[in-house]
Amino acid sequence: MEILAKSAFVFYALIIAAGSLMAVASASLVWALVGLVAAMFGVAGMYLLLAAPFIAFMQILIYVGGVCVLIFFAIMFTRPPPDAKAPRPHPFRKRLHALLAMLVPGVILSRVIIMDQPESFQVPENVDPALLGKGMLGPYLLPFELISVALFIAMAGAVILAWHKWGNK
Amino acid sequence: MNPLALFQMVGLFMLAVGLYGLIMRRTLVGMIICLELMLNGAGLSIVAAAQLTPADAVLGQLGALFVMGLAAAEATLILAIVLIVVKRFKTSDAADVSQLKG
Repeated sequence: MEILAKSAFVFYALIIAAGSLMAVASASLVWALVGLVAAMFGVAGMYLLLAAPFIAFMQILIYVGGVCVLIFFAIMFTRPPPDAKAPRPHPFRKRLHALLAMLVPGVILSRVIIMDQPESFQVPENVDPALLGKGMLGPYLLPFELISVALFIAMAGAVILAWHKWGNK
Repeated sequence: MNPLALFQMVGLFMLAVGLYGLIMRRTLVGMIICLELMLNGAGLSIVAAAQLTPADAVLGQLGALFVMGLAAAEATLILAIVLIVVKRFKTSDAADVSQLKG
């Protein structure tokens, strides 16, 4: 059983690694989005391994079903015209900055994670979704309400922004 | 390494790769993709920390749900902003959008 769990972990980790690299490195934005979807599915599998099936389904529903479709709309609306000039190559400084931005938090945090490992369960416990619902309506009612307000403001703001006449003064 | 550290390393990998992409990508939409990658890593890290330690598991799972809700809200708003930028500047290249109203 443990071997099964470990191989599942390695499988999902490989999906996440391949998807993330594809999302970052591929030249075409559509392929980058496909990589992002693969990485999100890998994260959903990780949630299943962590015995959080509700979060895994929400991950697929919200991220893959909602956010990715939105990003796909954004890609399609912002396609460059076919006669656009070829993108200039990245200057060396920019690559250096990106590598620094990746390595500084990566090295520091991985050192913290490896050196300071707290006690960890071997097998996570499943939490009943009913308990999550009770939590949302009990001790965490304020964040639950605030997130609905934030969602409403974001949607209203998006509609107002899109309706406003910009740029033809 | 114990299981918690393994899950945290996966989350950290997504954060690091997302940061690299955020700087390397030219267009605004490519930057959103990298941003979502980082948010996914954060959610994975939160849920792993809640499920594999004696901490309150309900709090961790709800935290991950709130991260997802905020990501959805942020994605709608960014879509609207990117549309306006493209209408106004005729490009979504982040380096070309440097004109301020002043």
